[in-house]
Amino acid sequence: MASRPRFVAALAVGVVAALSLAACTGSGSTPAATQSGGVVNITLSHGYTDVEAKAVTAQVASWNATHPDIQVKLVFNGGNDGALQKTLAGMAAGSMPDIAYEYGSSMAALAGRPQVVDLTAKVSDPSFKWDDFYSFERDAATSNGKVYGVPALVDNLALVYNKKLFDAAGVSYPTNSWTWDDFRAAAKKLTNASVKQYGWAYVADGSEDTTWRWLAMLWQEGGSLLSSDGTKSAFNSPAGLKATQLLHDMAVTDKSVYLDQGNGNYLNLFNSGKIAMLWTGPWDLSSINSDVNYGTQILPAAAGVHSSIAGPDNWMVFNNGTARERAAWTFLTWLTSAQTHGTFTLATGDLPTRASETKLDTYTSYLAKYPGDAVFVLNLSNVTTARPNTKTYPQISQAIGSQMQGVLIGQTSPQDALNSAAQQADSALAAGP
Amino acid sequence: MTTVTAPPGGAPLQPRTRPSLLRRVWWSDSLAGWAFISPTVLLIGLFGLVPVVWAFVLSFQHNDLISPGSWVGLQNYRKLLNDPQFTNSVRNTIVYTLIFVPVCVIGALLVAAALNRRIRGMAFYRVAVFIPVVTSTVATATMFGWLLDPDYGLVNVALNKVGIASQGFFRDPHEALLSIVLMTVWGWLGFGVIIYMAALQSVSADLLEAAAMDGCTRWRAFWRVEVPLLAPATLFLVIWLTINALQLFDEIFVTTKGGPVGSTTVVVYYLYMQAFQYFNGGYASAIAYVLFLAILVVTAIQLAVGRRFSHGQR
Repeated sequence: MASRPRFVAALAVGVVAALSLAACTGSGSTPAATQSGGVVNITLSHGYTDVEAKAVTAQVASWNATHPDIQVKLVFNGGNDGALQKTLAGMAAGSMPDIAYEYGSSMAALAGRPQVVDLTAKVSDPSFKWDDFYSFERDAATSNGKVYGVPALVDNLALVYNKKLFDAAGVSYPTNSWTWDDFRAAAKKLTNASVKQYGWAYVADGSEDTTWRWLAMLWQEGGSLLSSDGTKSAFNSPAGLKATQLLHDMAVTDKSVYLDQGNGNYLNLFNSGKIAMLWTGPWDLSSINSDVNYGTQILPAAAGVHSSIAGPDNWMVFNNGTARERAAWTFLTWLTSAQTHGTFTLATGDLPTRASETKLDTYTSYLAKYPGDAVFVLNLSNVTTARPNTKTYPQISQAIGSQMQGVLIGQTSPQDALNSAAQQADSALAAGP
Repeated sequence: MTTVTAPPGGAPLQPRTRPSLLRRVWWSDSLAGWAFISPTVLLIGLFGLVPVVWAFVLSFQHNDLISPGSWVGLQNYRKLLNDPQFTNSVRNTIVYTLIFVPVCVIGALLVAAALNRRIRGMAFYRVAVFIPVVTSTVATATMFGWLLDPDYGLVNVALNKVGIASQGFFRDPHEALLSIVLMTVWGWLGFGVIIYMAALQSVSADLLEAAAMDGCTRWRAFWRVEVPLLAPATLFLVIWLTINALQLFDEIFVTTKGGPVGSTTVVVYYLYMQAFQYFNGGYASAIAYVLFLAILVVTAIQLAVGRRFSHGQR
């Protein structure tokens, strides 16, 4: 029977209820530590697939072989998109992994809960070298001044372009001193309506995917998302207007932007030579066909500032008793050390999470193996701001994303869009989490 | 449960052969019946009834789904009255339902009538009509995403060929909801066709023969004889499709995510945003209950009107 919508609704209501039901029966109940003969068994939940899964499996196997007292079991979480929901359900049921991979955006929903281990004291141990992580990674792992995560993965946005299309249009390749005007002019020249070729692509589904690219532009202009005390929106500003105006001018006036509806078509179109430039991260590089000759460059700048944006993900530790917590931290310290993570990036092409990884011997082979990644590594220093870890951020993101969508399709004027988004964000902030 | 009570007064007719009480209870039909359905009752109770009751309790709380909530009385319901995004989602849902249900019912009726005859390759057509129903929603939505792509979609290519300008479809706030209707009608039509074809099989050939003898054309017989006889099937379809239309979610989630600019944010999608993106469990539960009441009322009205209509026929 095809009653799918109904099923989903029932499921939604059911999950809402089941979670809170379990929450009321006793949060903080933890299963007994799995200990036998001095061996502490801990579990690590992750969403790695493909090469990353192979690499992490190999690393854990080597750890288990050399550390008989702490045995780590890997558990696949079914995909990181559902990691937060799974973790919350596990918390409600009192069954949690010891270490879990969580999106950076999940930090606000998890931080401060009794089941989540506060790592502030642990990371401040000098031997852990917390300052070796990039500052925006540390910010993203922190909520209300306390550290709840260790950076597991870092990405950032850079400019990826198709050299063949640039050559054909007679446009010189992007440089590291490009301005927004250079970028806009190039996109216009690279657009050819008769063959449906676009200069740029923008994800216009109104989700966080729409918002975070705009945030990079806001920061380049010197704007900020929230007021310094975090109680009011601050993006309805001259900087916000300039960023929004650029989107409007390129998408509506020049029509040089392909508007992706969130289904990831932009990458297929880049592969088939229909889109000349993307603002994207290293995760897309592996999906670019080998016959596409592409280059990478840092984002164009407004006023000389090439700010980018990163979405660092974290390892978080959950409270399953002191013995397991201690074992989990010992293992995590090893897993996130420069040496171990350096080996991991060499196998996977992920970016280094610690600055000192770029000084390791393996880094030379890394650059040789993943030439496209060099720009992304350099670009890490252009990430100066982190998105706020607050419970109202999803609502603010939704308000901005939805309004930017209106601007991109020519439905809303930039100023009207900012007014509405700021009003929605302020009412969300006033209502509290 | 009359089996356990002895007949009042007077001597039983066959006191000796009457089995013991325990035996009678054990063999009674109702107990066996309950035994057979108890696993289902237990499961439905656990995963259906308990959450329904709990969501009702939640709707009076401020609750982020994990930490214990706090009681806020009717605040969630009051907030609904002044929430422009909720009002918008209700409007979108009503517009969608008012277009989707009639189009789907009338379309299914016509297709079923066309398929209800003996021609070569009929089995193929019937299967073809039903395939969209068993196709996963996500696959359907992904396919329509490509077909209706404003820049590279086949539909716009076809429109351009006949001299019509390219349409925005999912990207245009004025067309997005209609595109969703198109997509969901494609997915649901086969279901309606199956129901109507089953109903058409039960229309007695005698009636059509009699109509023909009275000089009734085939077309007239269809409208005057067959369609009225299909009233119960129509009633069922209208109710079923309305309930599903009011609970639209998957297709929105995969294609437009409620956009552009809120033009396809329907009630259940808004509920999902509140519950699982913003973690406002109490508010989401209040939305769920308002939707539940709305469906209850709409279904009751449809049943009342529909019953009167079908009673008048036979």
